[in-house]
Amino acid sequence: MGIKGLNRLISDNAPEAIRSSEIKNFFGRKVAIDASMCLYQYLIAVRQADGQQLMNQDGNTTSHLSGFFYRTIRMVENGIKPVYVFDGKPPDLKAGELEKRKTRRDEAIKMGEQIKDTGTMEEIKKFEKRTVRATREQNEEAKKLLKLMGIPFINAPCEAEAQCATLARDGKVYAAASEDMDTLCYQPTYLLRHLTYSEARKIPIDEVNAGVAISDLGLTRESFIDLCILLGCDYCETIRGIGPVTAFKLIKKHQNLDNIIEFIKKDEKLSKKYIIPDNWIYKQARELFLNPEVINSDEINLKWEEPDLSGLVDYMCKENGFAEDRIKNGAEKLKKSLKTGVQGRLDTFFKVIPKTDAQKKASLDKKRKSNSNDKKNNSKKTKTSFRRKK
Amino acid sequence: MLEGKFEEASLLKKVVESIKDSVQLCNFVCSEHGITVQAVDDSRVLLVSLLIGNEVFSDYRCDRNITLGVDLKSFAKIIRCGGNDDYLTLIAEDSPDSVTLVFEDKNSDRISEYSLKLMEIDNEFLKIDDMDYDSVIKMPSIDFQKICRDLSTLSESLQILITKDSIKFMAEGETGNGSVILKPRTDIDKPEQSITVKLNNAVNSTFGLKYIADIVKGTSLSNQIVIKISNRTPALFEYKLQSGYLRFYLAPKFEDE
Repeated sequence: MGIKGLNRLISDNAPEAIRSSEIKNFFGRKVAIDASMCLYQYLIAVRQADGQQLMNQDGNTTSHLSGFFYRTIRMVENGIKPVYVFDGKPPDLKAGELEKRKTRRDEAIKMGEQIKDTGTMEEIKKFEKRTVRATREQNEEAKKLLKLMGIPFINAPCEAEAQCATLARDGKVYAAASEDMDTLCYQPTYLLRHLTYSEARKIPIDEVNAGVAISDLGLTRESFIDLCILLGCDYCETIRGIGPVTAFKLIKKHQNLDNIIEFIKKDEKLSKKYIIPDNWIYKQARELFLNPEVINSDEINLKWEEPDLSGLVDYMCKENGFAEDRIKNGAEKLKKSLKTGVQGRLDTFFKVIPKTDAQKKASLDKKRKSNSNDKKNNSKKTKTSFRRKK
Repeated sequence: MLEGKFEEASLLKKVVESIKDSVQLCNFVCSEHGITVQAVDDSRVLLVSLLIGNEVFSDYRCDRNITLGVDLKSFAKIIRCGGNDDYLTLIAEDSPDSVTLVFEDKNSDRISEYSLKLMEIDNEFLKIDDMDYDSVIKMPSIDFQKICRDLSTLSESLQILITKDSIKFMAEGETGNGSVILKPRTDIDKPEQSITVKLNNAVNSTFGLKYIADIVKGTSLSNQIVIKISNRTPALFEYKLQSGYLRFYLAPKFEDE
């Protein structure tokens, strides 16, 4: 479930790596999307006015189908070509994290039961959302829908983020889309966040340049991974007492976890302050980030096909109770976007001249300054600001 | 210190009007050779490249490189305040936070002075290599403007086909299709009416008309437009100035691979 504080760390220390822009600026791009993440997101976020999940006549949830259908169309309409990647079996190291999540879910169910009669609507909703989990059937349903829509998907052998990142790194797609910052550990070219949010929320898409993020933090890929492990990942515990700021400082000074452990153990005061877990399996976690189990990009062939209109109507309308005109309308949009040529981009022909270090530093200082000024003025953050008199 | 005096304000007016719909924020980089601008539109499809050579100015002085970050929408508003025939002088200090525009009426003693606050604009620079193009055409800019405007009523895309002895513009839309064919011709009396085609390879390229509609706003700058096209690479649309140019680089549309 992501890495704690990493987003903040990057936006503070390597602001050049993150660019916010509107969805329409990603036209013509192929993007690999972490489908398991989306599935979960849709189950939570796609709701009726009363906060209930969408359901068909048999009482089965259809929130995820709605999400996959409409949000995919939104991307396609903006000229993006999505490919979805589903999780395979979780790595063994994730068992602990998954166990924790299950306990949390069980607790939430219990709490939900307890306050069912006494709690306010808000509270009940809150606990209900915490009980959400994506079932195997829902995964299969999403795949079936994507197939009917003519959108390609891949079953990753293991973690979907790793597969997405590999596709991006090998040039099969432009970027990996996930909300999880740990996708950066697998070194995609770019990570897109908020791509699958609903349009109504009007949240810009963050484009994180993984290479720039790591180099502007002054790290290598290996030390970056160690930093993420130290911040807290899904695979192993962290050293208690070390927050993001200390973690970043320690990694900068000692390069890797092995050195940090040695450094802490040598110092009596420090080893009391920071407790290193027994049998800490950070090395295995590191290995999972460095060499994840993925399908070789050469074996993957991505193809976007025409939607199967009658199949979609049968599945979405007859089986799952969606309105026929809206589904037909959506299929029409898919078809149209497939047909009209793709607008080329200048940046695939002309290379961006990299900024010199001096320019980078200048803009970093400027951003910091304008950020702190913004805080003072409590005004909206803008990318460009009027020059101030010196 | 920058001090550049235009014999007539209309040139800069036309330049600003030509690019303000393509890009909003851009840096005017002033050096001893003149003023240059490079800016890419938000969608990264169209690039504007401008050079106003120092010979365009009746007086020009710029000892050190100065960057003027300008919001073109505001700049256009100010520059509209001056008369077309007025002298226009641009003045800026060495690390300025504003630029001053002085308009002088030639027939009276009226002097109007405006200043525009500058912005910090953090834009990326694209490296444009000189390329050999498959085809270079030169034609009256006003004709090109009319063809594009006419065809844009039918479709969102303009297809340009160039062969040895003809240029064909085509648009296919839901309501109908249209095409215009031009042949090379030389007009000795009015050279600006000539149409020339230089061809290495036949060209078949498609462009988004909404971008072309922005490009043809440069029509008033020059009688002729030069279009350099290669298959599957960005095309160059150029309006020459007396010294310098306004160029647009436009990425083509593709049928999917």
